[in-house]
Amino acid sequence: MRIGVFICHCGSNIAGTVDCESVVEIAAGFPEVVYATDSMYTCSEPGQEGIITAIHEHNLDGVVVASCSPRMHEPTFRRAVERAGLNRYMFEMANIREHVSWIGKDKAHNTNKAADLVLMAVEKLRRNRPLVAKSFTTVKKVLVIGGGVAGIQAALDCADGGLDVVMVERDQSIGGKMAKLDKTFPTIDCSSCVLGPKMVDIAQHEKISLYACSEVESVSGYVGNFSVTIRRRATYVDWTKCTGCGVCTEKCPSKRSPDPFNEFLGTTTSINIPFPQAIPKKAAINPDTCMKLQKGKCGICAKVCPVGCIDYEQQDELVTVEVGAIVVATGYDLFDWHKYPQYGEGRYPDVITSLQYERLLSASGPTGGHIKRPSDGKEPKNVVFIQCVGSRDRSVDRPYCSGFCCMYTAKQAILTKDHIPDSQSFVFYMDIRAPGKGYDEFTRRAMEEYGAQYVRGRVAMIYPHGDQLIVRGADTLAGTQVEVPADLVVLATGVEASQGAVKLGETLRVVPDQFGFFVESHPKLKPVETNTAGVYLAGACQGPKDIPTSVGQGSAAAAKALGLLSKEQLESDPAVSKVNVNRCVGCQKCIDTCPFGAIKAVTDRMGRLKAEVIETVCQGCGICTVTCPQGAIQLEHFTDNQILAEVNALCPPKMNNVSFE
Amino acid sequence: MSGEVSQLEELKAAIRGQLDSLDCVIGWEQGYDPLHATPLFIRSEADLERLTISPLAVHNPATYTTGFKGKKIGLVVRGCHSRSVIELLNEKLIERDEVVLFGLCCDGVVSQRKIRAALPADPGFVEAVELGKDELHITVAGEQATLKLQEVLADKCLHCAYPDPLVADVLIGEKHAPRQAASPACQDAFEALGNEEKLAFWQDTMSRCIRCYACRNVCPMCVCQDHCIATSRDHLWMSQENTPVENFMFQMIHVSHLTGRCTECGECERACPVDIPLMLLRRYMNKQVREVFGHQAGIALDKTPPLLTFQVEEARIKERDW
Repeated sequence: MRIGVFICHCGSNIAGTVDCESVVEIAAGFPEVVYATDSMYTCSEPGQEGIITAIHEHNLDGVVVASCSPRMHEPTFRRAVERAGLNRYMFEMANIREHVSWIGKDKAHNTNKAADLVLMAVEKLRRNRPLVAKSFTTVKKVLVIGGGVAGIQAALDCADGGLDVVMVERDQSIGGKMAKLDKTFPTIDCSSCVLGPKMVDIAQHEKISLYACSEVESVSGYVGNFSVTIRRRATYVDWTKCTGCGVCTEKCPSKRSPDPFNEFLGTTTSINIPFPQAIPKKAAINPDTCMKLQKGKCGICAKVCPVGCIDYEQQDELVTVEVGAIVVATGYDLFDWHKYPQYGEGRYPDVITSLQYERLLSASGPTGGHIKRPSDGKEPKNVVFIQCVGSRDRSVDRPYCSGFCCMYTAKQAILTKDHIPDSQSFVFYMDIRAPGKGYDEFTRRAMEEYGAQYVRGRVAMIYPHGDQLIVRGADTLAGTQVEVPADLVVLATGVEASQGAVKLGETLRVVPDQFGFFVESHPKLKPVETNTAGVYLAGACQGPKDIPTSVGQGSAAAAKALGLLSKEQLESDPAVSKVNVNRCVGCQKCIDTCPFGAIKAVTDRMGRLKAEVIETVCQGCGICTVTCPQGAIQLEHFTDNQILAEVNALCPPKMNNVSFE
Repeated sequence: MSGEVSQLEELKAAIRGQLDSLDCVIGWEQGYDPLHATPLFIRSEADLERLTISPLAVHNPATYTTGFKGKKIGLVVRGCHSRSVIELLNEKLIERDEVVLFGLCCDGVVSQRKIRAALPADPGFVEAVELGKDELHITVAGEQATLKLQEVLADKCLHCAYPDPLVADVLIGEKHAPRQAASPACQDAFEALGNEEKLAFWQDTMSRCIRCYACRNVCPMCVCQDHCIATSRDHLWMSQENTPVENFMFQMIHVSHLTGRCTECGECERACPVDIPLMLLRRYMNKQVREVFGHQAGIALDKTPPLLTFQVEEARIKERDW
C-alpha cells in the first residue's frame, strides 16, 4: 500500500499541546507510509484539496487523517478521498484532539500518544479493503409518535410536503399539554383558538391517518423501511360509526370516573369525550369505572346511542404500518411534587399544580373558567405561586431548569388579576428566566401593571391556618423570613420526560439521557436527529421546551423526514457483518443474540445450516462477532484482524519472551 | 460388586433392546490395561459384550455426539455427562430425538492421577485390577497394592451435586438423596492467593503446557470443529509459539468461550498430559456466571447461556436507576 498521513493542527486546538511536526516525522517512518504532512485546518477547503493533490501526486491508495473525533468530520474526509478516486473506506481517522490535546497538557507525552494513535490508524488501514454501499428503496410515509403541538406541526408539514403520515396518540384526543392550557404567553391569546384549527387540519388532511388511544408496540426494520406495530386500545366504541354527538356522555350514570384531561380536578362520566374540541371527537369508555364492563349491569350508552356504535366486547387491536421515517414527539409529564414534604405532600387540597390552575382558568374546565379553589369552591383572593418545584433541585434529582415555568407563572398571575380584580398574587422565585422575544417585557408587566408581588426565595413550609394556608419562606433580597396567608397555592411544577419514554426509546433504539429525555445526535448541529438513522425528535421529548420552540422543532423534524424521503434510493452502510461460510458451523448463536433480527439460517448445497446476514437490516453493532466462538462472522471494516492490528500497534507482541509483563 | 454386575446386565439388556434402531451406542470398555478404560462404540451384540461401567470408566461420551449429527445414537451417561448433553441440546448443537440416553446413577469415578500418586511406583503397565466394595486392588510388577476408592475418586465426584442423570430415557441404579455442591479445597486455596501469587502460579504452570490441545479435543462444549480460533491464521489471535503467555492466552480464550456453558465434567483436566489444573479457571468462571446471571449450565432444558442472549437490560445488572 501507499499511505498518506495528514496531521491537523486544528488551529491551536491540537498544535497547542502536540508537536505536530514531530508526529509528521515519526509517522513518515511507519510501515507503508510514503507521504506525511501537517496542515492548519485539514477539514477546510485548502486542507481537503491538499489531501486530494497528495493522493494524485504520490499515487496514494490509503489516507490517515489525525485530527478530531470522527463523529463530525469522518464523512467530510471520506468524501474528500472519494473525490480523489479512492474508495471511501480506504481512509482512517486518528482522534488526536478529544483523545489527546484537549485532555493532556504535557507536550512530550501528548506527541508520543498522538504518534501511537496514528500508528494504530495506519495498521488498521493496511488491513482495510474497499467496501461498496448497497442501495435500497424507501417507503414514502412518516410515523409521528405523539399528537401534541410539536407532533401536529411535524405531521402537517410532512403531509403538506406530500408524504403520507401516520400519527399515533396515546390519549383519547390529540392536542397534548397545549390543549389543556387556557391562554399562552406572551400574547395571552387563547390556546385552543390557535391550536384547535391545527387539530382539525390533522383530522381532515387526506394524507394523515390518526390512531388515537394507541401506542407503538414494536418497531423493526431500518431507515427508509421501518415496520411499526401499533396497539389500538379497546375504546368499546366503534369509532367508524361514532359521530361524537355526546348523548351517551349525558346519559351515563357512572359519573365518578377520573378526569385526566382536567388534571383530576373533578370527575367525569365513564363514557366520555374529553373536551369539546377533541380530535378525534369520539367517545370512549373507561373500563375501570364502567358498570357494564365491571359488573355486567347498565348498558345505557348502548341503548341511547343513535348509531349503535357501543361494543362492550371490543378488544385491543394490533395494526402494522410500513414507514420510511419516524418523528418522536412524546412531550413531557409533570414532576410528581408530592415528593416535597414542605408543600404538604398532597394533604392540603388547595395546593395545586400550575396545569390544574390552567384548567380552573379555562372556560372549558371543570369550573367553567371561574377560579374556585378545590376545598370549598370559594374564590381565592390571595394566590401564592411557588416556582421551581421539581426544577433546578438536585435533592429530587431534577438539576435542570424546566425553562418555561417563569413565563407561565407570570401569565397566571396576570390572568388571576383579570379574573378576580381584587386579588393579590405572590410569586416565590429563584430568579426569573425570560430569554425570548417579548418574554422579559411580559414578566415585567406582571409585576408592574398587574401588581404581582415577586418574592425572591424558597418556601420552607405550608401549613393550614383557619380556612387559609400560611406559606412561610425566605425573602433573600430583604434578608427576612416572610409568611403569606394564601387562599390558594399554585406550584410551578417542573417537567420530566414523558412516562414510558425510556421504554419507547428502547423500541426505537433512541437513547434517553439520565432523566429520560431523548438524546439528539449533536447538541448544536443536529438538534432533531438521533443516532438512529431515520428517527427524528420534535418538542419536549428532547428536553423542556415552550410552544414556539416545540413548533419550530416539529417543522425541523418534518424538513429532515422530507429531505430523507425525497431521495428515490438510500445507501446502506457497508460496514455490516459478513459470514465466512467455510468457518460457520451453523450453531445459530449469532441469530439468537442479534438485537435486530438481521441474521437468518440458510441451508447450503450440502444441506448444512449456515448463518446469513441480511445486509440492509444489520446495524453493524458487532454483537454477533463476539458471540461466534470460531470467528466465522466478522464485522466489515472492524474485523478481528483489523482490531488486533490496532492492539498490536499499541502493545507490540514480544516474541520469545517467557514473562507475562 | 454384585450390584454393579446386575446394573451392567440391566444396562446391556436395555441397549440390546434398542441397538437395531441406533447407529451406534457410546459407552466404555477396558483399555490398554485393566486400570484404564477407553470409549466403546457399540454397533453389534459382540461390541456390547465388552461394555463396562466400573468407576474406571471415566470418559464423557457427550464429547462425541456432535460428530454424529444427523444420525441416531445412544449414550451411556453419568450425572455430569447428562449435564453436557443438556447444554448441547439447549444450544441446538444436537437434537433430542437423535440421542437415546442410558442413564447411570453414579457413585463417582476414579482419578488416574490420584491412583498414580498413591501407588508405590509408577504403574507403567498394570497386570490386574480387582474392584472391591470400597477398595481397588491393583497388581503392578507382580505386587498388589490396595487403595481406598474414596481416596482416589476424582475431585468433581467428591463434591458432585448431580450424581444422577438429569435427563435420561432409561435410568439404571438407585437414585441418590439430594446433595449440596461444594467448592473443592484446591479451588478455595487458589482463589485465596494474591494476584502476584496467581501470576507466578500460572507462569510456572503454563510453562509446562505443550499445546497438544487435548483439553480442547475432549471438551464436550468445544464445537468449532476444524475452525478453532487458536489454530487459525486468519484472524490471528495468537501465535503457535509455545510460551506461557501464548499458552495462557489459549486457556483464556477457551474459558471465555465456555462462559455460562461449562458443565464441569472435568475432561480437560483429566486429559491434560502435564497435569495443569484447568478446572481452577473453569470453576472460577462458572462462579462468576452464577453470581451475575444466576445461571448454571446443563441443569435444566431450554435454558440459554446468558452470553448467548441479547437483552437491552440484564435482569441482574443494574445499569441505571430511573
